[in-house]
Amino acid sequence: MDFTGAGDGRERALALLLLSMADDEFVIGFSDSEWTGIGPILEEDVAISSLAQDELGHAQALYRLFVELVGDGRDADAVAYDRPPEGYLHARLLDHGRGDWAATIARRYLYETADAARLEALAETSFEPLRDLVAKIRREERYHLMHVETWLDRLAKAGGEPRRRLTAALEAMGPDAGTVLALLPGEPALLRHGILAEPFAAIESTWRARIDGAFGRLGLPALPPTRDPQTARTRHSETFRALHREFTMVRGSEVAASW
Amino acid sequence: MTDPLALDPVLPARERSQLPFNDEALDHDERYRHFEAHVTGGGKVEATDWMPDEYRTQVLRFVEMHANSELMGVLPEREWIMRAPTLRRKLALTAKVQDEVGHAQLLYRVAEDLGKPRDAMIQDLLDGKTKFHNVFHYPTKSWADIGIIAWLVDAAAIVAQQALRDSSYAPYARTMRKICWEESVHIMHGRDVVVTMVTGTPAQRASIQEALDRWWGPLMQMHGPRSDRSKDRDIHWKIKAKTSEELRQEFLGIYVPRIWELGLTLPDPNLGLDPATGEWRYTEPDWNELRTVVTNHGPKSEERLQFRRDNWAATQWVRDAILASPRAAA
Amino acid sequence: MAAAKTPTGVLEPWEVFRQEKDGDPMRHGGSVMAPDATLAVHYAREMYGRRQESVHLWVIRRADIHDLADPDLLQPPLDRSFKKPGGYVMREKLAAAREVSGQQKPRANKGTR
Repeated sequence: MDFTGAGDGRERALALLLLSMADDEFVIGFSDSEWTGIGPILEEDVAISSLAQDELGHAQALYRLFVELVGDGRDADAVAYDRPPEGYLHARLLDHGRGDWAATIARRYLYETADAARLEALAETSFEPLRDLVAKIRREERYHLMHVETWLDRLAKAGGEPRRRLTAALEAMGPDAGTVLALLPGEPALLRHGILAEPFAAIESTWRARIDGAFGRLGLPALPPTRDPQTARTRHSETFRALHREFTMVRGSEVAASW
Repeated sequence: MTDPLALDPVLPARERSQLPFNDEALDHDERYRHFEAHVTGGGKVEATDWMPDEYRTQVLRFVEMHANSELMGVLPEREWIMRAPTLRRKLALTAKVQDEVGHAQLLYRVAEDLGKPRDAMIQDLLDGKTKFHNVFHYPTKSWADIGIIAWLVDAAAIVAQQALRDSSYAPYARTMRKICWEESVHIMHGRDVVVTMVTGTPAQRASIQEALDRWWGPLMQMHGPRSDRSKDRDIHWKIKAKTSEELRQEFLGIYVPRIWELGLTLPDPNLGLDPATGEWRYTEPDWNELRTVVTNHGPKSEERLQFRRDNWAATQWVRDAILASPRAAA
Repeated sequence: MAAAKTPTGVLEPWEVFRQEKDGDPMRHGGSVMAPDATLAVHYAREMYGRRQESVHLWVIRRADIHDLADPDLLQPPLDRSFKKPGGYVMREKLAAAREVSGQQKPRANKGTR
């Protein structure tokens, strides 16, 4: 991990938490923003673009908390853009590319529900700036959950090709779904200092029970356990590397320039 | 080309105030005369009014091309959403392109209420039967292009759109007011990108100048060749109020000084304000280039249309799925 | 959001009305195409609320709107000026009254506060 100024166990653990959340929102925001201009229905194109902008906004706010905490002179953009691909801490679920509409909905459903569980466990966090931000993000996330639940329902119940595409996407991503809630280094410090209300394992259990309930009602297969949880946030795909090349292309052309 | 006989009014004709052209007891020619007098006298037309086929198809053609342009206009810019160099710029560009899709939605809705289904309009666009504006047939080569387009292409568009806010076709006029309000933010974003780069590194400044040199030709062609006001059917029916030349003069009057203010040059040695007439003089734009481009022979025309065709086909299953009635919620 | 909506199975226009700020009337904004109320409300929020430009939206299936434009009902031909301020022009009568009373036309009196 490439940051200095992470003094005691608490600070380092908190920095890792913030960065992992920020990177999750940044990467999913990128994938979702790819639909801008090419969505399947004009109105839906506008809708998913709003969702992507919300995610990028959340990422920006989380990166700002990170830079305030770590205080190594970088600003939010520098953290967001100026790391090599292996320096990103997003969950492997989000390494799956945009895919078709079913894959996007599947990925978003798995992510948003896991993120909701994570945010619940942070709602009373002792770290005040994060508590304030989490309260705001949860209010925005209500809309996200409405949208993704509507679409999961619609695709599952439509039968035929929509359902087939959905189940294929869930099958491909299922083993990576739990990476959002995989154990983070520094969890004991997060628990000890009241930053996180319960261990990630407990958050994941709650989340899985909810998902299994929802999938059961739709006749969708239960999620498998997380594949390779120890590399949940550290081994990234070629898809992400290609994304990284894209998003660093302009900024990298003139280092230290204003844009 | 749209068959006027295929355009049944979507909404049933209703009597609106005491407008005589809405009187079904009159014959077609009388209704036409009343309608023409109404419109040329400044009267407005709603979707529910009776319209002569000529007016209906003229408005539809106008609005359809506008809608098509918004839909195709997203393509030059969206590839740079992935490459935006800061979070704020990425958010701004995503929001801008989103607005263009939103404008396409607004405009296709207006056109649809005149009688042509959205899918038919998109199919005609993809089949090359209907057109979209010249500027969207050109490549974007750098981040500087993004600044130039957002500032100057949107500025040229807004000059035209402001003049349409009083169009005789009221649904279109109302949409123009919403679009103008939304576009004003795009211009500010574009100008901010340009000014930031112009005051940045030498490479950034050079990049802006290079992009401006490339885009000036298409910008000068954008409003179209000079037309004879007395022969312009869109002006006759008050669908639009200003001629191409009036719009171009307005654009030049506002934006050339702002371009020069930044120390940028324009690749036209003849460009300048004639103090005697108050008119801007310029080298005659290449109207052959314009004709070639808008008939889908521009540098990126076919590639972008094919991209849209592929995307439309690949997402058809979603449009079909959305119509499938979910069984009653548990 | 409210209880289950019945999907129509076809794309239809839904009209969107919006309130810009507290206390304003609902004004027509435009329309969206949707197969049912759930998506109609989503899309209305996007087209007429994504910029925080509205505080309240109404979304109604166009086919459910009851339309009245009949001029006999809304612009009936006989005089109704007794129902409007313009039907009460008193300039001459007031001038005559002042002649009789010898009074001037009063200026607006804002009091001595």
